[in-house]
Amino acid sequence: MADRPDNRGMIRRFWDWFWGPTAVLSVGFTLIAGFLAGIFFWGGFHWSVELTNTEEFCVSCHTMETNLGEYRETIHYNNHSGVRAICSDCHVPHEWSHKIKAKIMAVKDVYHEMVGTINTPEKYEEHRLQMASAVWRKMKASDSRECRNCHNFDYMDFTLQEVRAASEHQRAIDSDMTCIDCHQGIAHRLPPSYLEEYEKVLEALSMTPSSRRLAAADHEATQFYLRSRSE
Amino acid sequence: MLEIFGTIGGNALGLPGLLGVALGMMTRHIWLAALMGGLVGIVETFLFAGWQFANLEMLELVVAIVVGVLAGCVGCVIRLKGASV
Repeated sequence: MADRPDNRGMIRRFWDWFWGPTAVLSVGFTLIAGFLAGIFFWGGFHWSVELTNTEEFCVSCHTMETNLGEYRETIHYNNHSGVRAICSDCHVPHEWSHKIKAKIMAVKDVYHEMVGTINTPEKYEEHRLQMASAVWRKMKASDSRECRNCHNFDYMDFTLQEVRAASEHQRAIDSDMTCIDCHQGIAHRLPPSYLEEYEKVLEALSMTPSSRRLAAADHEATQFYLRSRSE
Repeated sequence: MLEIFGTIGGNALGLPGLLGVALGMMTRHIWLAALMGGLVGIVETFLFAGWQFANLEMLELVVAIVVGVLAGCVGCVIRLKGASV
C-alpha cells in the first residue's frame, strides 16, 4: 500500500502524537521522567511565587514608596531584637490556597499602578481610608491570621509586659477580640475618621453589636497609648 | 469579583484541583471522578476551617466543591482519552 501524504495540520499532528501510546519508552522511564519534570515545574513555580514575596518586589512599584516610607519608621522595620517583618509577612498568608488567592487578588495592584490611581501624594491620601479599610476587613475576617504567624496569645508572658499592655491583652482574650481591633496603623499612618470606618467594617462583617462595642471600647485611649509607646 | 477569581485560583492550584485531577485519572466512571473531586473540595475547606462549622465560609465551600468536581471530570477525560485500560 502506497504511503498517503499526511494532510493533517501541525496542531492536529501534535494532538495525535500527544495522545498516542509511547512506542519506545518503558513505563518506568515515563514515570521517572514525569516525576522529575513535576518536581522541576512545581519547584520553579513555588520559587517564582516566593520571589514575589520579597520586599524588593513589593516596593518596585512607584506607588508603594509612601507605604514603604511609613513602614520604615515603625517597630516592624527597626527594633532592638533585629527581627524584621517585611510586607509579605503581614499581607500574604502562609497557607497555600490563601496565598494563591492573595496573589491573584494582588493583580488589582498592578492595574492601579498602571492607571496611576495613587501615583501622587494627594491621590494617595484620597484613597488611604479605602485601602486601609480593605486590609482591616481582611484581617478582621481572618482573625488577624497574618499577625498570629509571629504573635500568639498562648506564647505571651504577661508578667514581662507593661501593666497596660498585659491588661489590654487579657481583655482581648476574654472578649474574643483580634489583633487588628486595637493595632490599626501599626505599620502605616492612620487616615482621619478611621474609627468610624472600622465600625463600618465590623458592620459589613455582621459582627454582633456586643462584639462591636467591645472592639471599640476605649479604642482611642488604646491608640493613644500605642502611639506614645512607639514614639 | 476578584475575591471569587482568587478563590477559584487558590482551589485550582490547591488540593481540589490537583488531587481532583489525580483521583479522576484513576477511574473511567465520570460520576465517580466528580464525586471524589467534590469530596476533596469539602474535606479541604473543612481542613482549613480547623474542622469547625463556625469558621466555614459558604463561598469557599461552594467554589472548592465546584472546582473539585470539574477537576475530577477533567482527570476522568484524560483517563478515557489517554489510556486503553
